[in-house]
Amino acid sequence: MDNQPWKKSPSPWKYGRSALLAVVIIAAYIYSFRVTELDLPRLVTDFPKAVPILQDFLTPDVLARGEQTESYVINYPVPCGSGQEAEIPDSGPRIVPSVPCSDPKTTITVEGFDLRPDTKVQLRWLLPDGRRLRSARATTDGNGHFNVEVEIRPIVAAKEGNISQLEAELQWESTGLMPSEALKITFAKIVETVFMALMATTFACLVAFPVGFLGARNIMGTGPVGTVVYYIARTIFNLMRSIEALVMAVMFAIWLGFGPFAGVMAMTVVTVASLSKLFSEAIESIDPGPMEAIVAAGGNRLQAIVYAVFPQVIPPFIAFAIYHWDINVRISTIIGFVGGGGIGLQLQTWINQLAYNKAGTAVWAIVIVVTILDNLSSQIRKRLV
Amino acid sequence: MLEIKNLTKVYDDGTVALDNVSFTVQDGEFLVIIGLSGSGKSTLLRCINRLIEPTSGQIILDGVDITAASPAELRRIRRDIGMIFQHFNLVKRSTVMRNVLAGRLGYVNPWLSLLGIFPKEDKERAWKALELVGIAEKAYNRADALSGGQQQRVGIARALMQEPKLLLADEPVSALDPATSHSVLKYIELINRERGVTVMCSLHFLSLARTYATRIIALKDGKMMFDGLPEEIDDQRFKEIYGEEAVRVEVN
Repeated sequence: MDNQPWKKSPSPWKYGRSALLAVVIIAAYIYSFRVTELDLPRLVTDFPKAVPILQDFLTPDVLARGEQTESYVINYPVPCGSGQEAEIPDSGPRIVPSVPCSDPKTTITVEGFDLRPDTKVQLRWLLPDGRRLRSARATTDGNGHFNVEVEIRPIVAAKEGNISQLEAELQWESTGLMPSEALKITFAKIVETVFMALMATTFACLVAFPVGFLGARNIMGTGPVGTVVYYIARTIFNLMRSIEALVMAVMFAIWLGFGPFAGVMAMTVVTVASLSKLFSEAIESIDPGPMEAIVAAGGNRLQAIVYAVFPQVIPPFIAFAIYHWDINVRISTIIGFVGGGGIGLQLQTWINQLAYNKAGTAVWAIVIVVTILDNLSSQIRKRLV
Repeated sequence: MLEIKNLTKVYDDGTVALDNVSFTVQDGEFLVIIGLSGSGKSTLLRCINRLIEPTSGQIILDGVDITAASPAELRRIRRDIGMIFQHFNLVKRSTVMRNVLAGRLGYVNPWLSLLGIFPKEDKERAWKALELVGIAEKAYNRADALSGGQQQRVGIARALMQEPKLLLADEPVSALDPATSHSVLKYIELINRERGVTVMCSLHFLSLARTYATRIIALKDGKMMFDGLPEEIDDQRFKEIYGEEAVRVEVN
């Protein structure tokens, strides 16, 4: 009788089994290597393709030279006699048509005098119905003079006694640096994102707070009703947690349309799932002593919860809530990609437009805000716990 | 008068914590329960206010059968039974005042109490209780800012809020050093002598039991080993209660 079985040498069958297992594992890796089309050297050989994008990301569109404009407008009746002709001054910056009025389908010459030198000029028709129609372009010379042919198209004809006006707009870059348009949009969108996350976290807390108690064993007790409620609550938490934020966002985007509202709702559902579980675990880990003391003094269950459980769980609840706010800011960038609004939606738009400088601005803004919020939340949590 | 008749507690895992225990406590007694850890002292005390449900037997306080009480009746009966705990069972993050007021929760309007509103008389009662145990100046400190002895005095003040007929003390000084133990037991003795509150107190040390008890009960493996006056416990009895290998440790 061998009463020391661990000293027995393994049977050949056991070796065979190990070898088979090894073969299976190796085969699995070979297959997965093929199926995922891994080609690691390409990381290096194709790197030049990534360079422009990286450069754009690293040089985000933050500052721009401000653009300044100056415009001159004159009346121009088409056809002649349909309205008041322009009175052209003799000196000072002015634009002068070769004839004070004309018929459609003719061509006139427009000249500008004493304007800003070496500046781009855009001529435009301001139509009677308020629309604007682009016309010729020109550039002033060193003396501030330009000369350009303008075609009179039928659309500029007077309507119901109202005549079109001819506008010359000079555009040039100012010397001072201004926040770029992309930076302004990014700022507005990142603020929107932070508040989307705040709303989602707030809604989620309102739901998760009571629900957390339903999923806590020590609160629900060992009675039949309590046990059933407990298991239902726990099952719902787990089912909800298995659905990704991205999937939720797609669902809500279809339901509520693209935009921040859908994003907030998607994040709320995901956060409820996660917070409820954290809340109920926090409740389960409290010191039961104070509850026992209140029950022993003749207090009821609700009093025991309010007096003995609340003070113990409020600090961790707040810590979890702030942590989830932080998480939600991060998630909302992804959620935006599928229609959840906020900075994510903007980022996706810019990427689709191949405007990688602008996308870079958004990416940097996300990095900065998430870092700040991360520090802030860990500071607050340290003080609470 | 508290009558305990044939009290038995068997836990779900089959442990017999109390085995057919019967005795009677007269009003105004300072009854000390001694015995080793696991001898059933805590179970006995917790059966009296039904924090633990007895398996069989009866507990009758002033003619009312506690074991037969409905949940609502039980809450009313519990108001008359104060309890203090080995680990104080205070809400550490709450103020001393709030902890003491919590002792009154069985009396006040439950809905107002959830909002933290207590009648003026109860606040005055809380101040008096805190003055009695000598920590009125700590009323608005957080409970965990107090020393162990002070925290147990908060526990006593909380029990006093119930104006109890009976005070259960479950190893009230086991977590305290010897000097502090005496100061805490002196407050319990004061309540027993001056207010006529019956005390049932479990203690580890025989020397402490002898100092404060008017009567001692000893438990071993859930059975009553001794019921009598403190001076009746001689070396023979001591070995019966604590086992042959036990050595007397004096705490003064």
